[in-house]
Amino acid sequence: MAPVISTVQDYLAFLFVLLCLGLFLFFLYFGRNLPKVNLRNIEAFRRFKREVDLAVEAGKRLHISLGRGSINELPGGAAFVGLTILDRCARAASNSDQPPMATTGDGVLTILSQDTLQSTYHSLGTEQHYDPTNVRLTGLTPLSYAAGALPTIRDEDISANFLAGHFGAEIALLAEAGARSQSLTVAGTDAIPAQAVLYATADETLLGEELYAAGAYLGAGPAHLACLRMQDIVRWFLVALIIFGAILKLLGILS
Amino acid sequence: MKRILPITNAVIAVVSGLIVLFGYFFPGLLSGIQSVLISWAIIIAAFALLVGVFNLVMVHWKKTGTEGSNSIYSIVLLISLFITIIVAGLSGPTGSWTLWIFNNFQVPIEVSLLAVLAIVLLYAGARLLSRKPKWYTILFLITVLLVLVGSAPLFLAGESAPLSALRIWLSQVPAIAGARGLLLGVALGTVATGIRILIGIDRPYGG
Repeated sequence: MAPVISTVQDYLAFLFVLLCLGLFLFFLYFGRNLPKVNLRNIEAFRRFKREVDLAVEAGKRLHISLGRGSINELPGGAAFVGLTILDRCARAASNSDQPPMATTGDGVLTILSQDTLQSTYHSLGTEQHYDPTNVRLTGLTPLSYAAGALPTIRDEDISANFLAGHFGAEIALLAEAGARSQSLTVAGTDAIPAQAVLYATADETLLGEELYAAGAYLGAGPAHLACLRMQDIVRWFLVALIIFGAILKLLGILS
Repeated sequence: MKRILPITNAVIAVVSGLIVLFGYFFPGLLSGIQSVLISWAIIIAAFALLVGVFNLVMVHWKKTGTEGSNSIYSIVLLISLFITIIVAGLSGPTGSWTLWIFNNFQVPIEVSLLAVLAIVLLYAGARLLSRKPKWYTILFLITVLLVLVGSAPLFLAGESAPLSALRIWLSQVPAIAGARGLLLGVALGTVATGIRILIGIDRPYGG
């Protein structure tokens, strides 16, 4: 019986991915004909965009911390969002003398961050801004990563920090360093305990799926908006499914 | 060549990603090639670690050339790094000298940082009301206090059964419900990010 259930679960998961893919492609290619997406106001993105503009004017730097999630594992999803944010920040600060800095806690993420910055500057025709040492592998254990990123926040004339990726409770040290250096700290992570810590320590916290909406809010393109629409529909579908399951259990139909 | 390379990168990434994904749904069909691709990824990740360490050396080498008191930390880091590499190379990753370095340097430093982290969290909690004076901040702090008080025996009174029961209820009912809601959002966000990368719209690999 167990192998049959496992196979059914595999097929259901495959169907779920196909549903998500179908909705995403529909909104990507037919989204223009649909009513415009009204993004709700998220204070974190509003303040960060304002700080990016101020940083460019004041000749200060932006710092994007991508966490220590390996892309071979589930936490890699949040790290990819961090790469999108890094790309948007590099574009926004392309007129500035001070290119953004990135810190990571994983070797693969370090290379991907360097590659992201290089590609962004190449597409903008500003290759002279690219410096591989603006991306830093600061440590491989949670606390060594945080300890290594602290000097970047403190010493590099940082105006705003965006912490986006997989973190644990050590993220409190980074947020506190941001507060002490009087720079704005916006943070989002996929780890629930770290989100609780962030609520107490960061200036602005992105909870749950808000981190994954970063691309749409920072103007990364129609694909990110299509993803938001897809997530909204699938979320309501799942909520309905959970409530239906709860009712069935309440009535004793489900064991 | 400048145009062909990004397209080739994208094709390799998309095909590899799809094979690994389908390998999870149809294990009998693609599990062989899936495990080969994953083992390649692990080897590449190990090599990326070496590149990352080289990046660390470059960053701190550059810092040693700058004026200011902070360059001494970069010199200490570089010397420590090379000594550790030599010792671990000679005695092995689980050799006695390597473990001596680990137990006498890394463990005490990380434990000290954990202590600092506890103070930072306490301090952040204390100033939370002045930073975010909202009703849900008060709710957050009351919940934290109730869970803390319910977790430890009270001075002179010992363990309080009602507080302990309240802590268990808070952590098992509202906290779990909230965490599941957040996890649902995280899972959907991860699927959306994965789809964008799998169909080659997001290319964080220079494609």
